[in-house]
Amino acid sequence: MSGSPSMPDSHTSLSPLKLIGLVVLFIALALLPFVWGNRFYISLITEIMIYGLLAMSLDVLLGYTGLLSFMHNAYLGIGAYVVGLFLIHVSPTSLWLACLVGVVFTGLVALPVGWIQVRTGGLAFALLTLAFGMMFYTIVWKWYGLTGGDDGLMGVPSPDIQLFGWSVGNTGNPAHMYLLTLFVVAIALILTRRIISSPFGAVLEAIRENEERAAFVGINVRRYKLFGWMLACVLAGTAGALYILCKGYIGPVTMSAFAGAGVLMMVLLGGLGTLWGPIVGAGIFIYIQDYISTMTEHWEIFLGIVVIFLVLFMPTGFVGLGNFFKRLRKD
Amino acid sequence: MKKLLVVTISMFSMFFAVLMVVAQPAAAVEPVKIGVLVPLTGIVAQGGLEMKYGIEMAAEEKGKVLGRPIELLVEDTQIKPPIAVTKAEKLVYKDGCIALIGVFSSGVGLAIAANIDKLNVPFLTTHVMTTEFYNLHPLVFRSGQLANDQTAVGNVKGILSQPELKNRTYYVIVHDYAWGHDGGERFIALAKQNGIKIYNESYDKAPTSTKDWSSYISKIKASGADGVYMVLITNVIPVFAKQAADFGLQAKGVKFVSGAAPGPVELEAGGEACYGIFSASDWSWDVNNPISDKWEKAFFAKYKTIPSDAAVHSYVGAMNLFNAIDKAGSTDPKAIAAALKGISFEGPYGTVRISAKDNCMRNDAVWTETVAAPENPFGAKVSMKVLKTFKAAELGPPE
Amino acid sequence: MSGIATAVDITLNSLVLGGVFLIVAVGLNIIYGLSRVMNLAHGSLYAIGAYTGYTIVSLGVNFFVALLLAPIIVGIIGLIIERIVIAPMRKRSMIYTLILTYGLMFFLDGLIKYVWGNEPRFVAIPAFMRETISIFGTHYPVFRLTTLVTTAAVMIGLMLFLNKTRIGMILKAASTIPEMVSCLGFNMNYIHIGAFILGCALAGVAGIVAGPLTTIDPLMGHEMLISSFVVIVIGGLGSLRGAVFAALLIGLVQTLAEFFITDLAMVIVYMMMAVILAFMPRGLFGEGKFE
Repeated sequence: MSGSPSMPDSHTSLSPLKLIGLVVLFIALALLPFVWGNRFYISLITEIMIYGLLAMSLDVLLGYTGLLSFMHNAYLGIGAYVVGLFLIHVSPTSLWLACLVGVVFTGLVALPVGWIQVRTGGLAFALLTLAFGMMFYTIVWKWYGLTGGDDGLMGVPSPDIQLFGWSVGNTGNPAHMYLLTLFVVAIALILTRRIISSPFGAVLEAIRENEERAAFVGINVRRYKLFGWMLACVLAGTAGALYILCKGYIGPVTMSAFAGAGVLMMVLLGGLGTLWGPIVGAGIFIYIQDYISTMTEHWEIFLGIVVIFLVLFMPTGFVGLGNFFKRLRKD
Repeated sequence: MKKLLVVTISMFSMFFAVLMVVAQPAAAVEPVKIGVLVPLTGIVAQGGLEMKYGIEMAAEEKGKVLGRPIELLVEDTQIKPPIAVTKAEKLVYKDGCIALIGVFSSGVGLAIAANIDKLNVPFLTTHVMTTEFYNLHPLVFRSGQLANDQTAVGNVKGILSQPELKNRTYYVIVHDYAWGHDGGERFIALAKQNGIKIYNESYDKAPTSTKDWSSYISKIKASGADGVYMVLITNVIPVFAKQAADFGLQAKGVKFVSGAAPGPVELEAGGEACYGIFSASDWSWDVNNPISDKWEKAFFAKYKTIPSDAAVHSYVGAMNLFNAIDKAGSTDPKAIAAALKGISFEGPYGTVRISAKDNCMRNDAVWTETVAAPENPFGAKVSMKVLKTFKAAELGPPE
Repeated sequence: MSGIATAVDITLNSLVLGGVFLIVAVGLNIIYGLSRVMNLAHGSLYAIGAYTGYTIVSLGVNFFVALLLAPIIVGIIGLIIERIVIAPMRKRSMIYTLILTYGLMFFLDGLIKYVWGNEPRFVAIPAFMRETISIFGTHYPVFRLTTLVTTAAVMIGLMLFLNKTRIGMILKAASTIPEMVSCLGFNMNYIHIGAFILGCALAGVAGIVAGPLTTIDPLMGHEMLISSFVVIVIGGLGSLRGAVFAALLIGLVQTLAEFFITDLAMVIVYMMMAVILAFMPRGLFGEGKFE
């Protein structure tokens, strides 16, 4: 979690023009809170980035490994609860230590679950993510003494953001939190991209394309699936750490099956197997949800129609829409 | 080419997004905006709707505050605390609401209260019952349903006043969240002080999603308790009562006392199975006084819904808030908060006063039993008959 | 109340609960076994079955007529769903079908709320079933016993259908070796449609049977969906006898847990599932079919 500087050579596959574009975009985003101070929108964009990170982590699993997790939000929840509990009970000021503990704990929980899940095959894997997700949801909801049950975890302190002994800001300040989120999400995106474009990522994709053939060439399919799962869960845990710092509150609802469907929707909206697509998807989803649910109480109907429509006609998401138009022009 | 298209599409969508945000019709006189947070979807949607009606009725009756029209902006909390907090931020930061009102559940209420320093507007709940709201924050107020401690006092006094309830052993079952636990514990502690027998002091906690109550009912049967004290979300009361009736619990003479007064729509759904439930409530349409009679007729004519206590105390709470804004003479949060302290309103169930000491209301209440309804203009088949009236001072807490 | 009476209460409760789990899970299993579609909207179809039954009964029609009509209506809804959204997905990866039916679930849930509202509903049952009868000293509701008989009858009927009729045997064969059945000249398309309708109709039966037991509300399908997943995963995907055994096991464990420890009832059920799968990833009888 500590701010390791990004390696410029990780962009080797990007053309200089694109690299400059990305750097400009990043700088523009970093300057945003100084130009436009509306707290509501700054908080909204922070939330979009956090959910974008979660959706990206699900994309690692679904888009690259071909494994479906219905309740990936459960691991965001675990990360968030652990970070929150650490800040409340152990040390209210150690931001980085709390985040580290949260992410490591999420990994420790995800390991045995992943071990059981990868033994059962593709479909049962998906069903099991739902069942285990519900189990975590029930535990969080029932363990009243620790988690605050249905009322959620409240009174989480906002620690100062310290970097090499220098205090940069406070997580309670929306603009500071926005910048912290932006940096962490950017670093996570770069690191994940590097991992995915390494031989490890190629193996994952081979498993997604043809599991049997991958096994024949001597790949330990289960082990690689477990690696993919662990990577996805650790990233989700990181998103959870940011979530609790941003909101100062977490309740079991964040870990519900309904919220899990939302994360899946973000990935679909943005497009599978692109990493940055799901972040765009998160933006679209959160924006739509905010507006449709304000306009009508029957927003589930619209949500359902959008998903059905996406799967039937636009399986590659908004990113794939470009390809669609391209094809259209060629015809 | 593909990139270009993607960029074009995202530019367009961002453009429209900005357009939707910016393009808001400008009003001639700037209205006073009040944010209404109620659940309109999910398990307690009916209660939320009734609260919304009550608040709307108050806004219509009051008309103007500070000489400007009142504008209510309603948001659905979906009874989910994180969503409610996001909606509260939207109402305050984006829409410019100067106060927040409503909120059905304790969890949502506490989550908003936890963020009230940031939001910096007065927040008045009309339905949250948890005792944690006493003296919670200088900007957080309650003017609505009786709190858990007040309900427990009312129920214990009610049980003692009823010879057929006094000597029973009570089995306590609650919904598993803050409000349920609080309600259960308050009742058990007070009942023990007053010599009312409790079968299970470590009361049963049922998940709010429980549909099949047969296991709990079997436990009650096995315990031999002849009374049940339930702290359940009100629209589950008929469900529980009906399943208990299926197992013949009521027929065997078991009596029910509820930690939350069931709403009329819910009682209609349960029908005969809902007869014989006792509870303390601030109001039921069986209360007879000129203000109450006039109010319930107006409410029914307007919304075609049988008036519930959730509607009436939301109405009263909203009136208290509007009057406080007038009294403050400005939209400054501290001024409104100062005006809310000690303010009172003469409504369908007498004077409702927000205590200057702990920011929570004091009012008279009634002890009721659900019975076959007498002839009534609402077409209701079950009604909450008023058996006894409590004075505000009897229910406490002391000031 | 005596210990025996309580034991009888618990046993009957667990059988009723397990029976409802079973019918929902078997419907899910049949669709999966024959067309490799895991229908996540199954719980919503169960809810629609309950609501349809409620509407029919509240129109003044006899409850038993509703018991027949509701599954037929849900079956027709299943046919429409199959034709419009499931059939075009047949060639696509299973993950897309899963996500599609997830969307379908939200759509149907929203539709239920739109049509019937948020408030819980109660199904009026015939007067004689509202009585209780005395069994070993406990007063047990007649309706619950009727439910037990109905679920048993449906299961026996289904077994007979699959093992004794020609269509049933074709279906069974198609679930094991679809290529062979296809080669024999049977149109697999009809088999897919038939399986989907049958599965949906079973969800409808479960809905109308469970409706009066508890209460009907828009979210009733969600928990049922999760519970039936646990049942079919423990029993082994596509395994019929596995489902029977697992449904009764879960019914019993859940009832016992609710009676004795209340607080962690559902956690116990999920834990049990995790332990079973850690050692028997293909379910209790090792009959699970995976893609």
